[in-house]
This record gives sequence, structure tokens and C-alpha cells, in this order.
Amino acid sequence: MKTRLKVFFPLGLLVVLVLLLPITVMIIASFQSADGSFSLENYHQVVSTRYYTEAIRNSLAISLVASVISLIIAIIGAWALTRLAPKTKNILISLFNMSSSFAGVPLAFSLIILFGNAGIWQALMTALHLPRTFEIYSLSGTTLAYTFFEVPLGIMFLFPVFEELNPEWKEISSVLGAKPMFFFKKVIFPVVLPNIVEVFTLLFANAMGTYETTFALTGNSLVTIPTLIGTLIDGGLTANVPLACTFATLFALVMTAIVWLGNRVTRSKREVKA
Amino acid sequence: MSPKASTRVARGIITFLFIYLATPIVVTMIYSFSTSWVKTILPNGLTLKWYSQLVASPEFMAVLLRSFSLGLLTTLIAMACFLPVVFYANVYNPKVKSHLRFITVLPFTIPGIILVTGLIQLYAELPIPKIIILVLAISLLSLPLTYQALDNAFIGRDFRAMFEQALVLGDSPFKAFVKVIIPNIRAGVLVAMLLTFTSAFGEYVLTNLLLGGNFETLKIYMYRLMRSNGQASSVLTTIYFIFLAFISLILILIMQHYSAPHKSTKEGAKK
Repeated sequence: MKTRLKVFFPLGLLVVLVLLLPITVMIIASFQSADGSFSLENYHQVVSTRYYTEAIRNSLAISLVASVISLIIAIIGAWALTRLAPKTKNILISLFNMSSSFAGVPLAFSLIILFGNAGIWQALMTALHLPRTFEIYSLSGTTLAYTFFEVPLGIMFLFPVFEELNPEWKEISSVLGAKPMFFFKKVIFPVVLPNIVEVFTLLFANAMGTYETTFALTGNSLVTIPTLIGTLIDGGLTANVPLACTFATLFALVMTAIVWLGNRVTRSKREVKA
Repeated sequence: MSPKASTRVARGIITFLFIYLATPIVVTMIYSFSTSWVKTILPNGLTLKWYSQLVASPEFMAVLLRSFSLGLLTTLIAMACFLPVVFYANVYNPKVKSHLRFITVLPFTIPGIILVTGLIQLYAELPIPKIIILVLAISLLSLPLTYQALDNAFIGRDFRAMFEQALVLGDSPFKAFVKVIIPNIRAGVLVAMLLTFTSAFGEYVLTNLLLGGNFETLKIYMYRLMRSNGQASSVLTTIYFIFLAFISLILILIMQHYSAPHKSTKEGAKK
């Protein structure tokens, strides 16, 4: 028992100090009014102020579109990756890993060079006498930016799942006379679907929590839940930490529920298997 | 589709993905070497002067030093927190692992921007140096990386027998762990350390919001340059990218070096 305590002590201390305590305090603060008494005033503000509901709508729109598109590309990419030689696979996985850590300020900056007002894309459009069709600082531009880290992330999650699919299944089913479409619908799809759902929830949650890329790309001109929280914490005169706590509490609750559900889908499948 | 044709399709898809993901990086690299590149399709000329300017500035070294120390401290704390737990979970009590799973989804349910809100609410008024809170918080958020890399290191060998033999031979648990276990998982430990270091080295959200930009690390510097001096920022981004590429290369080499003998023992066991 004593050694067990020693083993868990550092991690336990870390989790209590910078996770449990701050999150508890944050949740409590979200229910406090300006004079410190219990109230739902902050929550009322979140749903009734237009600027705040716009942040929620923007976040949901960008994250849904970015994660659906990225998921589709990642499914195709992860499948393609399983078809390559083992050595190439390892190198490519490291590269995908690297490109997902390129997210944030560097990514935003690169995209501004490419698509910004003085960027290459605009120069190309002007040279070809085409109208300006694409604005990187907009909703769709931000959505595009998210795919640059969501796609590699999706591939890294999905690749191990696809790699585990047994190629013999296909032979067996074709020996038994199944058509490829039937095989796909009745064998591959049921096995892979729960994992795809889980990866979708993770990609969605990841997009919802993205602050760095959005902030570096659009400043505070495009408001999402994370950039709004950033302003509420950091904004000098407009700072309102209890309100930031309210947004953060809502975010943490909803995301925990979504990720937990996504996790459950795969776990129930695993239990059936066992 | 025949297997050959599908391999060709797969190669095409991967090439396309590669181009798509690499384009912003390549463009930034070219930008860092160009004399000026505003509203034109190609840069006006090539130069190295932005590099010499940035590297010679005293700010640059100070920024690197700050990010480097942040990375190092975070790595040490993450290792101290997780090595014993992952060892214990793998060798003595696999049930613990299902409880540790919550850590792997932590960055998704409580991302940096959410965590920093709680940290500010709790610690803003307390007389604790914010830098300590920062290092601890970054360690916490890098735990999933650390955990997975360390967990992989314990697959496939009987560490319990090794550890207990060392205990029987009279070593203390700590000594036995350092002498017998660490050398056998050193590849996994190295991978975990590199990943943790890299994520802390490039941290932005927590550092910026918790310390209010007073502690200028790599990404904060990059953001400031991006607003004022595009060329310098592109140089910094390129250097950061080369750093990431270098780390990836080391990771690939470690994996290839250590996975090769591993496979042969597996095949040997089959025979």
C-alpha cells in the first residue's frame, strides 16, 4: 500500500493542482453573480446575448464542417496508407504527426502568405483577372485552416483500426460467394463504424477547442467559443473571468459528454467481441 | 480492383495528401528566402539576409532559451509523474489502465483554453509564481503523449520477472527500477521525452494567457513577428519547422532501430 501511494503521488498531485482544483473552482465561479452569491445570471447572459450565441453558432458550424470533411479525407487517406510498404508507412505516420504539430501560429501564418490579402492566391487571381473568391479570414477560410491539422489527426487515429482489418476476411467471403459490395456492407462497415464515430467525436471536440489557429488567423474578428473565452480572460477592460468560466464549464460538460459517448460506442463493441 | 491497381490508387491519394499538407510549409520556406513577395505570384529575388538578421538578434536567443527550459522542465515533470504509474499499471495492476484512459482524452474534453480559464480563476490572486503553475499545466496537457509512448514501451516482455529478480538479489525497488527496467524501455522513454519536449517547446495558449505575454516563448515571439515583420516570422517558422522535422527524423530512426530486433524475436518464438 505504501509503495502504491508513492507510485501515484506525483501524478495525483499534478492532477489535483492543475486539473481538479482549477476545474472545480471554475465551475463554482460560473454560478456566482458579481457580489459572489449563487446565481444563474452568467448562464442567462450566454444564451440571451447575441454576440455570445454567435460565438456558439460559429464554433459549431466551423467544427462540424471541418470535422466531417476531414473525417472523409482521413478515411480515404488511412485506407491508402494501409496499402503501402511498412517502411513507407512508418515514415508517413511521423510526417502526419509532424504536420499536426505545425498547427497554430505557424499554420495561420503560412495560410496568410498563401491566401492573405497580399498573398499568392490573390496575386494569381488578379493576374488571371478573376474575382476574389476566397477569403482566408472568413468562416470558410477558418474551416479550411482546421482541415490542415484535423486530416492528419484523423489519419493517425484511423490508421491502426484499418491496419487491424484482416485481409483473409475478404478471401473467405468471396470464397463463400459474397459480392464486394455485400462484403463491405456486412463485414467491414459494422467493424469500422464505431471507430469512425469515435474518431469523429474526437475531431469535432478538437476543432471546438481550437484557439491558437483561429486567434492567429483572424485576430478577434471571427468570434468562436475559444477566442471569446480568450478575450474574456485577457481583454483588459472587457475582461469578465466569471463569464469565461461559464463558457468553459459549458464547453467541458458538453465535450466530456460527446467524447464519452463516442468512447462508449467502441467500448460496447469490444465487450461484445470479448 | 486488382491489388496492383489499388496500390497505385493508394499512392496517388497519399501523394495528393502530401502535397496538400506540405504546400503551406513549402510556401513559408520560400517566403523566408525571398527579398520581397507581396502581391506577386513568384518572389522578386532570393536572399539569406532575413536569416542573418533574425539569428543575430539578441531576442532570438533569449526566446529559444525560454522555450528550451520550458520544454526540459515539462519533460522531467511528465516523466516523474508517469514512469512509475505506467510501470506499476503494466507490471502489477493492468486494471489501473482503464482508469488512466481518461488522461488520453483530456486534451479533447479540457483543451488548453478551458484549462487556462480555471487556472486563472484559481491562481490569479494567489501568491504563487505563475511560471510554476504554467510548467505543471503544460505537463498535464502533454500527459497523453507521454502516456501512450511509455505504455507502448512495456509491450511484449516480462518486466515483472526482471524486476522481482533484481529485488531478490537485494536491490531496493528504486535501484532495481533504474538498473533493470529503464535500460530495457529506453527507446520508449526516449520517444516519450522527445514528444513531450516538442509539445512544450511549441506551447502557446497557456503561456500567452496565463503569463499575459510577459514570458516570450517561441510561439509568442512568432505571433508578434507575424504582426510586425512577415519576413522575420517566416524565418522563425522555417527554423521551427526544421526543428520539428529533425525531431521526427530521430523518432523514425529510433523506431526503425528498435523495432527491427523486436520482430526477429517474435519470429524466433514462432519457430
